[in-house]
Amino acid sequence: MPESNMSISVNGQSQVPPGFRFHPTEEELLQYYLKKKVSNLRIDLDVIRDVDLNKLEPWDIQEKCRIGTTPQNDWYFFSHKDKKYPTGTRTNRATAAGFWKATGRDKVIYSNGKRIGMRKTLVFYKGRAPHGQKSDWIMHEYRLDDNTIDTNSSAIMVEMTPEEGWVVCRIFKKKNHHKTLDSPVMSSVTVSTATRSNNNQLMMFDSGMNEEGALEQIFQYAGRRGPNNNCKEEENNNNNNNNHHNTRILPPFDGGSTGMSMGMGMSMSMSMNMNGTTVNSDYNNERFLKLPSLESPNSTSSQNCYQVPLGTDPNNFGFSHRDDHDHQTETITNWATLDRLVASQLNGISTDQASRQLVCFTSTITSNINPDHDRNHDNHHDQMSTALRSSSSSSNKPYHATQDYRYSDEMELWNTFARSSSSLSSSDPICHVSNAQL
Amino acid sequence: MGDHNNNVNLPPGFRFCPTDEELVVHFLHRKVALLPCHPDVIPDLDLYPYDPWELDGKALGEDNKWYFYSRKTQNRVTSNGYWKPLGVEEAVIGRSGNKKVGTKKYLVFYVGEAPSGLKTNWTLHEFHLSDSSSTANSSTSSSSSSRSSKRRAPKKTDTSKWVVCRVYERDEDDDGAAELSCLDEVFLSLDDLDEISLPN
Repeated sequence: MPESNMSISVNGQSQVPPGFRFHPTEEELLQYYLKKKVSNLRIDLDVIRDVDLNKLEPWDIQEKCRIGTTPQNDWYFFSHKDKKYPTGTRTNRATAAGFWKATGRDKVIYSNGKRIGMRKTLVFYKGRAPHGQKSDWIMHEYRLDDNTIDTNSSAIMVEMTPEEGWVVCRIFKKKNHHKTLDSPVMSSVTVSTATRSNNNQLMMFDSGMNEEGALEQIFQYAGRRGPNNNCKEEENNNNNNNNHHNTRILPPFDGGSTGMSMGMGMSMSMSMNMNGTTVNSDYNNERFLKLPSLESPNSTSSQNCYQVPLGTDPNNFGFSHRDDHDHQTETITNWATLDRLVASQLNGISTDQASRQLVCFTSTITSNINPDHDRNHDNHHDQMSTALRSSSSSSNKPYHATQDYRYSDEMELWNTFARSSSSLSSSDPICHVSNAQL
Repeated sequence: MGDHNNNVNLPPGFRFCPTDEELVVHFLHRKVALLPCHPDVIPDLDLYPYDPWELDGKALGEDNKWYFYSRKTQNRVTSNGYWKPLGVEEAVIGRSGNKKVGTKKYLVFYVGEAPSGLKTNWTLHEFHLSDSSSTANSSTSSSSSSRSSKRRAPKKTDTSKWVVCRVYERDEDDDGAAELSCLDEVFLSLDDLDEISLPN
């Protein structure tokens, strides 16, 4: 074969001159490769192959999508997304050995400032849901925006939803910078950064800030988690009031799946700084009220544990903090970071960064409705209403009527925000914050 | 970006991103052995006096890294500074075995005059053919070039004369494109919460 043709694929083995790697940008993946794919245009070099995700395990994909003979860190392929159920919106990404599970929020991909598509991040779990074991295999799944497709190709795309059609994917193995976690309960923001230096933790949040509302995303994501994560812990706390075990981290995240509780978590952080008290990240159960389970009688053990903070301190937007200083310190580092951000905002430091942070934080209050992903949001409102009722009628925790009033008032605020969150953008954060402070 | 690939007809997405071994075996070795390099993408800057930020357009630039051949020299002084060896040497091992094919030296750029220059984030990887391996290497390098290498090997070219360099500005939080962003990592660890008890 003449050398000039070295870029033609031979026997499925792409011939790439030494030193060259297939390292496409996200833009190239979408604008060049995926667009050609969905338009049925020929792609010169058959570098991106079609893969049936249900048939190949990640380690098989690695073999199938080899380019040349040089070592690779990532592998690219086209995949056709099919619905899991004819009527549903979920994509079937199960293989023989495991399944791909979406994580995080989809990221918008821009090209020259124009939105062209989305990226979904997925993790491969070995085994069967819900007992899968998380692996290091990560997939980035890129899809074109519908309108992008429409303007550039015809016919085939008409009925396509984001959960169907061709996507281009990249898989790679996550490098493990972090040492193995000793306790799954410890797995939180704290842990993910625990092995980095303090400096890096700060940088992480700082740089996260510069991404579009990173914290907002985190809160939102955390808030989306099922309200089922802390029952055992909570039990534990109730039984051993003096046992400040280390696993109790990031209470706002723990609080359940509603944006409401996230908003509260935030207010707590704020209040602590405004009072000038020592930052204390252990939100103990004294502030939490156990609520009866809503539905799902078959899973009461894990779903009946909504935590609602109760206010006892008028200075704290109706919420209190515990002045309990003998806690683990690891946690504080991280929450202190967040607190510092909020505090800097509330103290009137109005840099660009600060206002960006404000956007992040305030929008978490209102951003609990998140229609994307496969996750379940159906009972947000129910939970919130129940929480409301319970919080205002429950009498097993001492608090004053005025605070109760403030409390439920605030609840309503959030409730309102929640119900109309789609119309409330984060473009007007100041307004939201001042509301919350009333 | 990619402008230097003019003689390489590759579709979008291909980038010059050689491994250390490729730099030594495919590029430096062939340069030293006076073999034609295909693709001939790495320019020869000889004893270049350029500051690292001047390399763009002169060296082969790809993905914020610059590649060029240079003559071996003891002190690399540029118009505005100098490259100071870190004193670290690393063996470059061939993929096909445990054979050492070359040596990688690390240098850091200092602005100003030695020895009181100001350290920068500019880093230079200088690849040398290892003396011991230079002859052995010529017969065992990549299969495609080994035949012609053998023929020329008796010439006993001066292996110490040339080095190939990779220059880049170190960026602490750049983990490479194939890695997860910090944000993704956070999301991932939040996923672990699911694993504690997931009823559905």
